[in-house]
Parts: sequence; structure tokens; C-alpha cells
Amino acid sequence: MKTKKRVVISADVRSPKAARVKRTPTVRTIKSAIVPVDRTTRSGNVRPRVEIGGAAVADLGAPVAVRPSLAEREALDRIDLSVELAPQRGLRLLNPIMVASGTFGYGVEYGEVVDVQRIGAICCKGTTLRPRAGNQPPRVTETPGGMLNSIGLQNPGVDAVIEKYGPVWQGWKVPVIVNVAGESIDDYVEVARRLDGVPGVAGIELNISCPNVGKGGLQFAIDRDAARAVTAAVRRATDLPLLVKLSPNVADVRPIAKAIEEAGADAITAINTLSGLAVSPDRTRAFLGNTYGGLSGPAIKPVALRIVYEVAQVVSIPIVAIGGVTNLGDVLDFFACGAIAVQVGTAIFADPELPVRLGEELRAECLRRGLASYGPLVGTALPKRAGASSAKGAEYRP
Amino acid sequence: MTMRLVSAELVDSRQILPGQWVQSFHAPELASGSRAGQFVHVRTGDYSGLVLRRPFSINTADPATGIVTLHFRTVGRGTEWLTRAREGDRLDMLGPLGRPFEVDPRSRHLLLVAGGLGIAGIRMLADEAVRDGRQVVILFGAQSASLVYPSSLLPDEVEYVVATDDGSLGHDGFVTELMVDYEAWADQAFACGPHPMLKRLAALAAGRRERLGVATLGRKRGGGKHDPLGSTAARRKAFLQVSMEQTMGCAVGACLGCTVIGVDGPQRVCREGPVFAAEEIAWESIA
Repeated sequence: MKTKKRVVISADVRSPKAARVKRTPTVRTIKSAIVPVDRTTRSGNVRPRVEIGGAAVADLGAPVAVRPSLAEREALDRIDLSVELAPQRGLRLLNPIMVASGTFGYGVEYGEVVDVQRIGAICCKGTTLRPRAGNQPPRVTETPGGMLNSIGLQNPGVDAVIEKYGPVWQGWKVPVIVNVAGESIDDYVEVARRLDGVPGVAGIELNISCPNVGKGGLQFAIDRDAARAVTAAVRRATDLPLLVKLSPNVADVRPIAKAIEEAGADAITAINTLSGLAVSPDRTRAFLGNTYGGLSGPAIKPVALRIVYEVAQVVSIPIVAIGGVTNLGDVLDFFACGAIAVQVGTAIFADPELPVRLGEELRAECLRRGLASYGPLVGTALPKRAGASSAKGAEYRP
Repeated sequence: MTMRLVSAELVDSRQILPGQWVQSFHAPELASGSRAGQFVHVRTGDYSGLVLRRPFSINTADPATGIVTLHFRTVGRGTEWLTRAREGDRLDMLGPLGRPFEVDPRSRHLLLVAGGLGIAGIRMLADEAVRDGRQVVILFGAQSASLVYPSSLLPDEVEYVVATDDGSLGHDGFVTELMVDYEAWADQAFACGPHPMLKRLAALAAGRRERLGVATLGRKRGGGKHDPLGSTAARRKAFLQVSMEQTMGCAVGACLGCTVIGVDGPQRVCREGPVFAAEEIAWESIA
């Protein structure tokens, strides 16, 4: 277990305040907030090597009432939802509910209706070295249980992003992770270099999987060696915590995930959108200006679950799950498949308050189950024996 | 007013034309804080499996009663779901959103041009203009008489001129053909409707000065300091403002999904729009 970087953020459970909740007859003792899922993977690694929550022991006997009493609120406050996404470098989130790149702009757009400081982390819009105008409209359309988008990485370029939003982010409690896209390894490296050391930038999420741009980097996500090369190059260019976002548009994602881990990524985000198509109402052409679009929303949740499930069995770095999260059940599903944080994306459009609410619901769920952190919820659905077969046709044999 | 999430209670729902509905909601925050041209993003029922909200122009807003109305056509599952909502149901609305029409304080004669459901986009401007003591002419175009917006739903003070594609009511032809009759009368024009209609109006507006001459109209408007394209000041001086449509994701400017192509690059309909000065749009990009 790595404990060096651990910062205890929750209140001290042994404070006099804590003693007051011991009124209930049953006092359960939770042994460890550190992920107890000791599962041996095929390669013999013990996973996950991640830590969730800071408090080691807590007494949480208070039942959940309809309206939380003072004692229950205190008990809720003592539940530690914090999570470390980059154990080597330090990227601690106060809760594991993040907002996904492309759905939350630069964090400021929803500021009037959402308390962004209560979100676990914000992944900003995909950022490239030079400004990009994006794709021809129309760029979005609804599909059954989801939507297609083909924005085409419209953004003002990394320098403008740093200048305009860096000072804003610096004043925020919530970590902002800059999503980085590019056409070549040099592009990625240069953007990472410029972000390195910028106050307010908490980390980088490497978007090597944008399906909407001819040269949007997707070539890096579908080839193991290319994924390894770009991850390693960016790793050398910056000390920022580095997440790499996987594409589902591959036959088998596991060798790519493994290569990304070996190349030095701190965490893996899974998944980006699935490539899709919609037809115009008169059926004379494709609906979207860019012909193809990326499918997101509840429709892709099973695909995302499958990929998180597969990746969790081959890597030991933290996995951030994304794909169709609309309620707490979805969050718990992804935890069960081995993710330690989730990103909410498309669902924000219908329900901007969802990310903040999910954090609160997760807290209440932990209290209901008598957990001091959500660590015990992670990885519970993974196969109990090493090397269990996957449902995927193309099996990964290293 | 800044945007907010509002729980709006449905108080009246009626079909005013085949497939077209006007629904009234009690939402005092929206009724008193909205301006003509702005819109709301309405969440449909969770159970229907629709992941996106639906954007609607604010058709009318009455601060005195706290009632806002939306006017829409049933085009898909979202709008069909809306028609099944019952009085007393509460809908989740995000709004008011977008930038409104900007009327020059000196404008006395406002020409409002609507194509079909586009009337919903300019309807509230008629109320505001009448309230401010301006004269209003509404040019309205539809395919046939059966789809003509009822004059009874308009303020008494406005002049209402109708064109139908099949000639079954009013002018026989497109509503844009009526524009030339009013361009000398109008101080400013405001339009909402199909993009080809707006494109035609923009072309007419661009040539208006040459046709009218510069002697009497608009000398002061165009002169003086140069306001940056897209600024409120520049829009206020523009002869023609258009309300644009685009499929939309977030409606707050985060997703960049609802862009139209402007002369300065992509413009978000939800943030820079939905109202634009005609000269901001790259009309050659509009089919």
C-alpha cells in the first residue's frame, strides 16, 4: 500500500463530536477504509493499488432517517469520499464524481446553476495546440437513450485556455484536469509542456480517442505501440498527473490499456464515445455536418462497463469510468467493475445538478451501509479468480 | 436575469393549429426576468428515455400573472411527451437563456417577420414593442391558410400581414416577398423562421440602403464609432436581427453543439444567439 501521499481530509473520528453519535445500541466498527479487495491478477499484481478515503477507523452506527438529524449530518460529514487518482504525483479529489470533458466547458458555463466547487473534478473541453474551429453544423442529435456529437474539438488553443481560465481555476477548490488532444505526438507533448506548472491545472487527460476528427488522435488509441509512444512522450514532458482516455472503438482494449500503464500514465479514463451515425430527416444524407458522431449517454453504459471490467483486470493504476452515468446505481455499477471514480457527461445536459447530487447520494449510501469510505464498493463484481475469461470474442493473450 | 433551474407548473395546454400547441406555465421567475428572443431549455420526462432537454423560445411572458407560454409543433417524442402533460404537472426548465432582441431606442417602426412556427420566436417582441409605444407590423408566412397563426392571439395594436405558399390566404407567395413593401417604413426588422427564409431576408436587408438611398434613413445609425461585431451596441444598430435555430445540447455554452457558422467563425446559438445581427452570420454556409 502506498501511504506516503495520503492526506486525511475528513474530520478526526476520535474527536469529542464523534462520541456523540454513539447513542445507538449497535456500534459497528469498520476496519479499513483502504480498498480491501486483494485480488490477484494474472500478472500477479495485487490490485487495486489505489487508496480511497483517508480515515482508517470509524464508528457509524446512526441509521439513515428521512431528514438527517444533526448527528446524522455529522456522521455523513465523517464519511470520506476523497480519492487519490495519481498516487505517484498527487491528484486528490474530495469525491469521486467528476464531470466529463466536452460536457462542462471550462467549468464556468454552468456556474450560475451549479456549485462547481462541490464536484470531485472537472475535465475541461478538449484542448489543442492551435485554435480549432470545429466541425460543420449540425453537431449534435439525440438518439435512442443517448446522443451523437461531432463537435470536432472546437477550442481556442492551449495558450488562450491558460490565459483565460488559468486564473479562474487557480481560485477554485475543485481540481481542473485539462483534456488534451492533438494530431501528432509533438502536438500532445507541446500542449503538455505549456500546461506544466500552470497554476490551476491539476492534471492532464490525454484524449487519444476523439472519433470526430480525421486526425483527432484516434490513431493513437487503436494501436498499442502508438498509445504507448504518445503516453511515454507526454510523461517525459510533464510531471502533471496524467490520465489517458481509452477509445471503445477497438477490438480489444486490454493490450492498449496495459501499454498505457507501462508508459507511465497515472490513471486510465474509460471510455470515450462510440463512433456512430444518424440520417437526415429526408434520408438524403447523414444528419451531422461531419457525417459521423460519437455516441454517448445511457445507451453506451453496458459497453463502458464491459471495458472497465476488462481493463480493471489487466492494470493496477486507477480507472476512471465514464459512459452513461445518470444515477447512483450507475456509479455503483462502475465501482463494482473496478473503477474508483466516475465521470458524468451527457446526463449533465438534462440535469446539471446531477454531479453534485451524486456525491451526496454516494455519501448517504456509504452511511446506510455503515462504510467509512466507498472503498469496499470497488471491484466487487470482478471475477474472483485470476484469469477468468471475458465475454469478449477477442481474448487478450499477452 | 441570470439563468436558473425553475419548476414551472403547467396551467393551460391547448392545440391552436394542427400539430401546434401553446402551453402556459406558472413560472414567476421566468415571467419577470425574460426578454423577447430568449429561450428556455425544457426537460422531458425521465421515463421516456430522452437524454436531452428541448429548447423553446419564450412565446409570451407576463410578469403580472407570472405566466410564460411556449408555442411548439409536435415533431418528435419530446414534443409529443409535452402535449401529454396535464395541468398541475411541473416541468423542469432552465432559463432564461441566450441573448435577446436588441431594439434601438430610437426605432418607432418595427417590422417582425415570421415563417411558420417562427412566430414563437418574435411573438414576445410584439408585446414589448407595443408596451414601449412602438408601431409593429408582423409579416407572417405559412404553407396554407390552415397553418396561419390566429390573429386573435396577437395584440390588437399590431398590423398583421399574411402570406401563404399556396395562396389560400393573403399574399400568394413567400413572406419574404412582402419585405420590400415595408423596408422603407421599418426602422428595424426582426425575423425568426426557416434558415432559407432568414437568408433571403438578410440578402434583402444588405441591399436595403442602396435601394432607399442614404439621405433620410440611418445616417446616424451607421455612423459614429464602430462597435465590435456581435456586441449589444452593434446589434442595436443593425437593421435586421434574426433568431437562429440549431440542434442543441447543454444550452449554456459548454458543449459547443449548437453552433452556426458566423463571419467570425462558429457561433453558439445558445450563448452568442439565438438572436444575431444579420451581418454576423456567414449566410453562404446556410443551405
